[in-house]
Amino acid sequence: MKLSKIIEKCSLEKVVFCLDGEIKNGYTGDLMSDVIANANSNSIWITIQAHKNSIAVALIKDISAILFTNNVPISPEVIKKAKEENISILKTPENSFNVSGKIYSLLEGKTEQS
Amino acid sequence: MTILHSKEKLTLASELIYEIKVKDAMTRDVIYFSQDSTFREIQSSLKKHRISGAPILDEKKNIIGMVSIDNVITALDEGYVNEKVKDYMSRDIITIPQNYSLVSAIKKFEKYKFGRLPVTKNTRTDKIAGILTMGDILNCLLVSIQTIAEKVEKKEDQNTLLSDKMIGQDKKKRLQFEVKKADFDNAGQVASMIRNYLQKLNIEKQILRRVAIVCYEAEMNISIHSLGGHITVEVEETKIEIIATDYGPGIPDIEEAMRPGYTTASEQIRALGFGAGMGLPNIKRCADYLELESSMETGTILKAIIHVEGLGG
Repeated sequence: MKLSKIIEKCSLEKVVFCLDGEIKNGYTGDLMSDVIANANSNSIWITIQAHKNSIAVALIKDISAILFTNNVPISPEVIKKAKEENISILKTPENSFNVSGKIYSLLEGKTEQS
Repeated sequence: MTILHSKEKLTLASELIYEIKVKDAMTRDVIYFSQDSTFREIQSSLKKHRISGAPILDEKKNIIGMVSIDNVITALDEGYVNEKVKDYMSRDIITIPQNYSLVSAIKKFEKYKFGRLPVTKNTRTDKIAGILTMGDILNCLLVSIQTIAEKVEKKEDQNTLLSDKMIGQDKKKRLQFEVKKADFDNAGQVASMIRNYLQKLNIEKQILRRVAIVCYEAEMNISIHSLGGHITVEVEETKIEIIATDYGPGIPDIEEAMRPGYTTASEQIRALGFGAGMGLPNIKRCADYLELESSMETGTILKAIIHVEGLGG
């Protein structure tokens, strides 16, 4: 599913929008090593860890979009780094559980149809 | 394949006959006779030098005629073998100036069916410069082709040497990065840099990711747990070696540290999403070989190797 469609369906706020890539998977987690170990590429990553290191992790795992939940504050450095590395940053006031559920059903619904 | 090969050679040869001058192919040391030589003398000289014809020159070395073994045979046959050549030689001579290209000589050979062509110094004189046979032309072509082939071979050798050297330089390159203590903001940057560098080397994505994960986790470990250190990445033909060294304080129990979930990280660090106790297990999972050495005096050295098949392919 296109990233733009997920953004629209889940009413996410675009902080940095780089590329409307195809999102095939999702991963929810706040532990860097856990994400590094288990996230798939072409994923949207749902987390509350809004710091520069998250961009590095996304880059290593070929994650093209990060969704920060709970309205966590995002520093200008993180935004700058995300732009540099071509990684989209999204934001939502919802918590990780709720938004993960929404995105999950979007992605799963999509696969069932096709 | 064979046909193709000989065609290529022919193309080369036909180019060469335009480039090579008669003077480059001709024999300069000319065997000749005066018009007062007898057929008998000519016959023994031709036999001695194993040639089938020669020019007749005057005192000033001007070409005045040609004599061949055929003429000698006729003389023998008709009984004038002891007579002088001047009365029987062909005066209707075809010459070629030495500055003409071989292609004109070949045309003359084809047209007149002569075995040899006397070569003149230039178009305005009959003064002899040399003698040219088809054998001379073939010989010259073969030598030229061989020279070209040798040059190509030499060049190829040089190219191979050069590219080997370049690859050697490139692939043997060691990258070293400083990792500072508790620098979480910039942590992950070393892994990014290494990843970018390896991407330029056209390393397979899967391998790239594994190297990046090893580097990232090693970098985080140094940053979180040590007083600082450095990461070295060495890319070789068959493997990528990552060495992470820190200045201490060392890991008290390596076996315990390798256990997933085991962590000594502070609450503050864990709040940032680090210190999940998964760093070393992650490294172990990604590396084909892992060696961990730790001393409470000097610090920790982590060595990880990832095998690469056909680097740059």
